[in-house]
Order: sequence, then structure tokens, then C-alpha cells
Amino acid sequence: MSFVDLEDIRVSYDGKNNILKDLNLSIEKGELVSLLGPSGCGKTTTLRVIAGLIEPNDGAFSVDGANLTKVPVHKRNFGMVFQSYALFPHLTIKENVGFGLKLRKESKETIHKKVMEMLEVTGLADYADRYPKQLSGGQRQRVALARALVIEPKLLLLDEPLSNLDAKLRINMRLEIKKIQQRLGITSVFVTHDQEECFSISDKVAVMNQGVIEQFDTPEVIYNHPKTEFVARFIGFENFFDLTLVDDHTYAAGDGSLFKTAHTWETTQKVGTIRPEDITILSKQSGPAVNTIPGTVKVRTFLGKSYQYEVETPIGKLLVQDSDETTYTSGDEVSLYISEEKLILV
Amino acid sequence: MSKKTSYLILAPGLVLLLFFLILPLVSVIWPTFYDGGVTFNAYLEFFQDMYNVGILYRTIKISLIVTLISILFGVPTAYFIANSPKKWRGLLMSLTLFPLLTNSVVRSFAWINILGRTGIINNLMLASGLISEPITLLYTEFAIIIGSFYLFLPVMIISLVGTFENIDTEIMEAAETLGANRLTAFIKVILPLSIPGVIIGSILVFTGTLTAYTTPQLLGGNRNMMMSTFLYQNAMALGDWQSASVIALIMIVTTLLVMKVFNMIAAKLDKRGEKYA
Repeated sequence: MSFVDLEDIRVSYDGKNNILKDLNLSIEKGELVSLLGPSGCGKTTTLRVIAGLIEPNDGAFSVDGANLTKVPVHKRNFGMVFQSYALFPHLTIKENVGFGLKLRKESKETIHKKVMEMLEVTGLADYADRYPKQLSGGQRQRVALARALVIEPKLLLLDEPLSNLDAKLRINMRLEIKKIQQRLGITSVFVTHDQEECFSISDKVAVMNQGVIEQFDTPEVIYNHPKTEFVARFIGFENFFDLTLVDDHTYAAGDGSLFKTAHTWETTQKVGTIRPEDITILSKQSGPAVNTIPGTVKVRTFLGKSYQYEVETPIGKLLVQDSDETTYTSGDEVSLYISEEKLILV
Repeated sequence: MSKKTSYLILAPGLVLLLFFLILPLVSVIWPTFYDGGVTFNAYLEFFQDMYNVGILYRTIKISLIVTLISILFGVPTAYFIANSPKKWRGLLMSLTLFPLLTNSVVRSFAWINILGRTGIINNLMLASGLISEPITLLYTEFAIIIGSFYLFLPVMIISLVGTFENIDTEIMEAAETLGANRLTAFIKVILPLSIPGVIIGSILVFTGTLTAYTTPQLLGGNRNMMMSTFLYQNAMALGDWQSASVIALIMIVTTLLVMKVFNMIAAKLDKRGEKYA
């Protein structure tokens, strides 16, 4: 049994369509787990089930061995950071952060001490007496975090907390969240649709699609070895082509060209995929070779540090990213090398 | 657009206001200050007569009571409407607005039927043996309060529904995750944030009750005169336009003062420092 357990959670608003289908998720103590997926995949719903804002139609949710499925929100003692921050506009920063402690009937001195400590940690000590309106987006974000953390929650829940910040601030904030999370050792669930953000911050990632978790693993494993086509597409794999097993670790594409792979795959996996940046583009090679496919450059796009080529090949259009000095132009005959190591089957 | 042209565009409205609002008002009010020279005698006389002061007091008292019970009943109703599913909200709103679409004379007559000596309430209480003789409900301050409350509650509700709808639901949820049950979250977060709506609603209900004529006339009778009925009596029954004008100005000033007080209360309660109407 893990620290946090979601067992066969089903959520349906109308009784017919399931938002979540038999969802299972286990989180170890101290871990930061991300729920990653496109909008509508059920990641926020999952978080709201954990928070207690939605009661699941079926299934059980427990933390530390205690079944909390029917426990109302206000008795769960989880800290939550909302996408809109949801600060109380009529209270000062100090009062916002102290809100939860005040409800816990702690003494004035304790509240003041804890609040000031937390404001120190989040770098907000100078803003204690201001109102949320008088702060910038990043500062409000930190207030929301401080308010959720000061109650010493069993779980910290973050619902796309960085999506309203500009790019630079977002990178700073995610580092800060990670630091604070590790320092306090607090088990956290982070919802996002941004894979880079998610990979940089998480111990583990659950990639969700249409109410189910497609893959739950460390960011490295998901990045390098996506299990399903959906996961692969979502994390930047662009090229997909059908393959059939012909020999040990050897597959044939539709046109008969052969591809070797370095990894062992289940026999059910029949679609080969590779990231554009993992394909090597070469000038036309004579004769067929394993893991190499001829093609014609159709479109070249300048991406800054590299070029992207759209190459027409016998197995379909492939996208290739290449930062080599040799560039190719539309109409050039080329060969594409797909490395054994990087070819993934889903 | 240059400043000159913008004034030019403003001109028709200004002329209209000047000739149809400001001038008539001044022509009515000015004589109350002029009796061979500038004088405040008309007003001093008004306040020296305890009968007049009693009417002013009753008017303010009734208006305040109506405002308070409108808040009391309006807040929960408006919160319920604002939080009901979208498909019901429209229906509930039109039900709320419906009384506003009927004539105020008709509505007051309905209350006469209910409150009268042979009205529904007295009949019910007589039949159930609670009382042995009909009690006087009609032509009391109570009747005016009930009638005005019924008249102006929708105004309060409408102004509150808008406010409640504008409060981000995540704010309520945030309060709950921090350990507040629904009631506490409502009292500590939603209520303070609804102050702008309460104040606007209160101003509308208060001025509405203060200036309403039909309701106090039909439900209050001559013994429970309010400023508006008193004004009418002076002007139309007694032909004393001077006194009527004095009453009119006192009503205007009272309204302004009360609005000022409401705004001060709002500024005290709502620390976000926003300005109100």
C-alpha cells in the first residue's frame, strides 16, 4: 500500500459518459507526481477527486491507510493551489496565509509566527500587509503556495499553478516550487498540460488521456520509452509508421525496408516512432541499408538552432530536425538514418 | 475628437437636463428659501412641528427596516439563484422579476385582501381559534413594511445575484480546502465579497421605499403618513405648494445623506478600497 492510493476511481457527471474510468494511481510519501495530458483528459477531475471537491461515483481514495473517499473537503487537510490562485481579495497577504490557521483555532502568536515564517520562505515578508490586488502575478502565485503550505497539509495539490505566468517567471517558479516541496518533503500532485514543465519538476508523471492513465513512470522513462502512441505524440514524437516483426529485433516497414531495434518489444506493438531530432539526415546513399530509408526533401523550415525538413519517403512523410552545417533544399534526394537505439515501438 | 466637439455632443443632453430637471427643481425649491430675502424659516417651521418630524422619522424608520429585511431575505435567495444550474437560473430570475412587471396599485390591493379585517390572515386565525376578533393589520406601519418589502425585494435580489455570480467559485473552494465548512466559508469569504451588491441593493431599496407613494397610501392610510403621502396631501389636498416643496427638498437631502452613510459603511466593511455608487 502506498501513501496515497486511488483505486478504481470512476467519475461521471451524467451517468453515461465517464470522465474518469477505473483510474488507479499510487503515490509514495514525499513524491511529486504530475498529471499530464491535454485539456479534457481528466487530470483536473482527478485532482479534484483527491481534494474532495468531487465525489467519485465508484472507487476508493486513501491517504496513509485512511479511507478518505467520503471525507468532506474541509476535513482532509490538503493544501491546494488553484489555477486562478483564488486569493481572498478582502484580506491582506498575512490574513490570506493565516486563514487556515485561524480556522484551526491556533493562538494569535502561533498564527503570526507560522505566517511570517512561511512568508519568509516564499519571499513575501515585505508584502504582509498588502492586498492581493497590489501584487504581481508571480507574487500572488507565491501567496497561494504559502497559504496552502502553512497548514502543514498531508498533501499539496497544484492545479496548473503556472499557466497564468509569463514564460520566464514560469521557469523560476517551478524551480521554486520544487525546492520548497523537497525541503518540506511534502507529497504533491501537480496538474499541467505542459510536458517540459512537468518533466522538470516531477518525480513521476502520469500521462492521461480520456479519463485513463496511459503511462505512469519517471519523466526519463516516459521521455525515452513512451508506451502508447498517444503518449508518444503528446511528448513530441512526430513520425509514425507501421512495422511487422520479421526476425529477432528486426522489423519490416510497408515497403519492405528493414529496421533493427536495440530494445525488446511486445509482439503487440506494431507502430514504429521516432522524434524528429533523433533522425539523421544524410546525402543520398547508394543501395539499401538496414535502418536507412531514402527520401526527397519537400519543405525546409528554419527553427533557429536547427532546420526542420519534411521528407517524403516510401514509408510516409517524416519530419527531421537537423543542426548540421550541411543543409538541404527542397527537391534534394537524401537518406534518413533511424538509429536502433532511438526507434521506439508503441 | 477635440474637446470642443465633445462638448458639442454633450450639449443636447445638457440642455435637456437643464430645462426639464434642474430648472423645474430650482423653481420649486427656490421659493422655499425666499420670502423677501433669503430665509430658512420654512424649514425651521417644518422641524418645529413634532407632527412633521414624526412623519420624517417614520419614513426613515420604515425605509431602513425594509432595507434590512430585504438584505436578510435577499442574500440567501440571491446566493441560491446564483449557484443553481444555468438552465434553472433564467427561470428563477424571471420568477423574481415577475412582481416588478405588475402594477403597484394591483399589488397593493392584493395586500389589502390579505391583511384586511376580512382578509385571508384574519380569516385563518379566526377559524383556527387563535384569535376571537379580527386584529388590525391593514393601515399600520407593519402593512407598509410588508408591502414595500414585497415591492423592492426583487431589486435587492437582482443586484445581489450579479455580485454572487462574479465571485470566482475557486475562492469558495479555496476556503474549503483550508478547513472552512460551507457555512464558515460563506460567512468569512462570500459575504464580505458581496458587500458591493448589498450596498447598491440597499440604496435602491431604501430610496425606493422612501419615495414610493402607492404602497404607503393604500396600505398605511392617513394615520401612518410617510413623506411621499404627506407631500401629496400638502400639494393636492391642501394646495400648499410651499410646504410640499419643503418636504420634497427634505426627502432629497435625506436620500443623499443615507447614500453617503451607506457608502461609508461599505468603505469600512470592504477593505479592497473600491468606490461605490
